[in-house]
Amino acid sequence: MDDGCVISLDNVSIGYQKNKPLIEGLNLRVNSGEIIAIVGPSGIGKTTLLRTIAGLVPPLKGGLKVCSQTNPASPPRGELGYIPQRLGLVRHASVHHNVMLGALAGHCSPWLPFSFDARKSAHKAIQKMGLEEKRRSLVRRLSGGQQRRVATARTLAQKPSLILADEFLGELDEETMLIVMDAVISYVDEKNAALLVVEHDIQRARKMADRLLLMKNGKLVPYVESLEPVEEE
Amino acid sequence: MKGENDDSFSMRDFVTGAWFSSRWALFFVSLILLSIIIANSMVDDWGRLENGGSNLIIFIEESLWPPDWSVLEPQDYPVCLAAPGFSFTCSTAWIGLIETLKIAFVSTVLGMIISLPISLFAARNLNSPWVSYPARFILAASRSLPSIIWAIFFVILVGLGPLSGILAMTVYTVGYLGKLQYEAIEGISRSPLDASRAMGHSWIERSFGVVLPEAANGLISQAIFMFEYNFRHGTVIGIVGAGGIGYYINLYLKFLQYDKVIAYLIIIFIVVLLLDFISIKARSYFTEENDVNERGWLGFISRITALKKSPK
Repeated sequence: MDDGCVISLDNVSIGYQKNKPLIEGLNLRVNSGEIIAIVGPSGIGKTTLLRTIAGLVPPLKGGLKVCSQTNPASPPRGELGYIPQRLGLVRHASVHHNVMLGALAGHCSPWLPFSFDARKSAHKAIQKMGLEEKRRSLVRRLSGGQQRRVATARTLAQKPSLILADEFLGELDEETMLIVMDAVISYVDEKNAALLVVEHDIQRARKMADRLLLMKNGKLVPYVESLEPVEEE
Repeated sequence: MKGENDDSFSMRDFVTGAWFSSRWALFFVSLILLSIIIANSMVDDWGRLENGGSNLIIFIEESLWPPDWSVLEPQDYPVCLAAPGFSFTCSTAWIGLIETLKIAFVSTVLGMIISLPISLFAARNLNSPWVSYPARFILAASRSLPSIIWAIFFVILVGLGPLSGILAMTVYTVGYLGKLQYEAIEGISRSPLDASRAMGHSWIERSFGVVLPEAANGLISQAIFMFEYNFRHGTVIGIVGAGGIGYYINLYLKFLQYDKVIAYLIIIFIVVLLLDFISIKARSYFTEENDVNERGWLGFISRITALKKSPK
């Protein structure tokens, strides 16, 4: 990784159809220690942008580079943590199992469920999110707020250099939101990682982000408050 | 001049809307009509249906009823050594039934173990078409022949008896259960797969860490269903000499002893009903519907222990 770069997008077009790109000519560089929030109206392509960076949707054009990547064919294991809008949890498995999935991705080993380090990371993340008593519970039996904490714990246990979070705070109550937000922000500070978050709540986005970007009309521009009141989803 | 409050709903809108609402009903009516036309082209004389009912009554009165329950009596040879009151365990009905249950159980377990990895390869949400289609081909090939044909094939290969029954049912289970399994795997939510891919999990980690736990309830439920299915079909494969109760049914059919055959059929019917009931109950522990109490394996075990501990 050179000069703190975590990920860079150079003249990238994203979308699902070549003739109908959602965003064109996108240039973005995320540096370590940085928190960037992306806001914008619904259906504009914010989630697609995160999915493209996460490697789930190929970019239509341009260069997308994870800076620590040495082999262009395969992105580095465990470098990207992704919290999808629907959290991406294994609902029929326990809290511990889900968090262990993150811990295993973060440890450069093939399938090693008995790795001491992985288990320690998972244990710490569960503790940090206040889920010790629920560690053996099935995720599908937890409340929405608890599930969000599990998804966050999974990412923290993974120790990625970039967290991609798609509205990961959802409709959390104030208290839980602060716990989750503080945990993620302090992780970014401690590990000098980066956070790229899609957020529909401007106030919340402003609270956590160093940079606020607005996605509108197929472009990603710095958010200027006086100009752009963003419609909420 | 038309204002905003003008009624702009035209006849054309009505026809379009009505067509849209009734398109499925029209589709099914067309399907039924088509099947009637096809059946009519094959059947030359519908009048033959008239005699069916009276023939059935004659058959029941003269040959089937009352059932000959001697099938539940111990055989003359070998000598029955069972405890008093348990002599029925030496009867052909009991021996055949237990053998059929054993064949169904073993073939379900073996079939599940073989089909699971194949269905992981067959799932399109986990693999490219280059991997999934060959896997599907294997499953389709083993499903393409009914278990009775596989039984004939294995009787030729390994001879008469339960071994050919087990092999036949296992091959069929691989194809049938494998299809159910990859459909269950393809039905899981995309979100955990996305998270796993973004994290950089390997195929094995994704399959065992995300896919199998997420689809587990469906997979277990299908395996239970498959056992019940295999029992029902296990009664048939005995007819070609592949072991089980079907062997005795075939034997008495040859001797035209229909009263004994109906006794076997009633016994099979009762066991199928029982298995069906147990299967529905067991499967309910692995589905999310009415997910009020503890479900899953823990719930299943805790319910059983609670029943045992219960004073009444």
